[in-house]
Amino acid sequence: MDIDIIELSDTKARFVLNDVEPAIANGLRRVILAEVPTMAIDYVNIYDNTSVLFDEQIALRMGLIPLITDLESYVLPEDCDCGGEGCTRCQLSLNLSAEGSKIIYSGDLLSSDPKVTVADEKIPIIDLRERQTLVLEAVAKLGIGRKHAKWQAGVGCGYKNMPVITIKEDCDSCGRCVDECPRNVLVINNDKLEVTDPLKCNLCKLCMGICDIDAINVIEKPNSYIFNIETDGSYPAKELVIQGADTIILKAGQLKEILSEIE
Amino acid sequence: MIPVRCFTCGKVIASSWEEYERRVSEFENPGKVLDDLGIDRYCCRRMLLSHIKLVDTFAPYQ
Amino acid sequence: MVYYCTRCKRLVEIDYEAMGIRCPYCGHRILIKQRPTLVKRVEAV
Repeated sequence: MDIDIIELSDTKARFVLNDVEPAIANGLRRVILAEVPTMAIDYVNIYDNTSVLFDEQIALRMGLIPLITDLESYVLPEDCDCGGEGCTRCQLSLNLSAEGSKIIYSGDLLSSDPKVTVADEKIPIIDLRERQTLVLEAVAKLGIGRKHAKWQAGVGCGYKNMPVITIKEDCDSCGRCVDECPRNVLVINNDKLEVTDPLKCNLCKLCMGICDIDAINVIEKPNSYIFNIETDGSYPAKELVIQGADTIILKAGQLKEILSEIE
Repeated sequence: MIPVRCFTCGKVIASSWEEYERRVSEFENPGKVLDDLGIDRYCCRRMLLSHIKLVDTFAPYQ
Repeated sequence: MVYYCTRCKRLVEIDYEAMGIRCPYCGHRILIKQRPTLVKRVEAV
């Protein structure tokens, strides 16, 4: 297995994963979407709300705010010594007390732990008008994406097969495949057909269909995948992929344990 | 209020709303603004494009 | 129970048996119940 990184930023990662079975590639995608533990607001204690939104709507908006996750200091409520009742190991609170008239942003939430703060400070929560108040305490817990999308660390994660485009010698550079390609992968340069960026190809094979002399061929490279990963801000993209891989290892370990108990 | 995340993929789009609203009100092309803000997928783009601000309508009735 | 009249904006104590739902000050018939002071726990889903 080896990885070629194409693009890596805090929120986005794009890389080619070579020499892996499709099952492992799909496992990594699924784990990033649904199994990596993430911090999110679980419930909200509302002390006062005279804004235009209902308590439930405000609570939903709070829940969807991404929080920077610190897996070293917190554990999942199910795995906690307190049995999920709520202690400092498995939850933290964020406070908000505001009065109009102004727009309240996610950055106005005061976290009780400086390490776990909102990942995006510019999310408008509510537009408070004159004499409107909002006082609340939000309780955040770790959770997994399988339970609710607010605990989903990866958004828009997916992969596609690595395309291999070969142009045969007998190509007459008629240019019809260049017009047909929806991704503009092909170009005619000095009367010769060339491939600009094979990573852009979506394997639609329209170029193969339009060519009368079968001079172009597009195939999927076996066991090679182009991954696209985007995070909601709770982890940097690199960290998310590492956590995804760790989760697979953890799950495989659990399976091994269960199997070893069977005589 | 603008929804916090895209309904389909879950990307946080609310933080881009104010810049989008300001720039579109200055007669910039909405498509170009969305490209600049890094909102690539059409599921996220429709969230901002089709949003109607209702807080101002509700505000007097509380 | 204390209500709030939407027309004269006053807090009113109404006696349903004696006069029905009606503001004793202005006679308006739309009253809103005040928010209780207790803390409300809402699941963020």
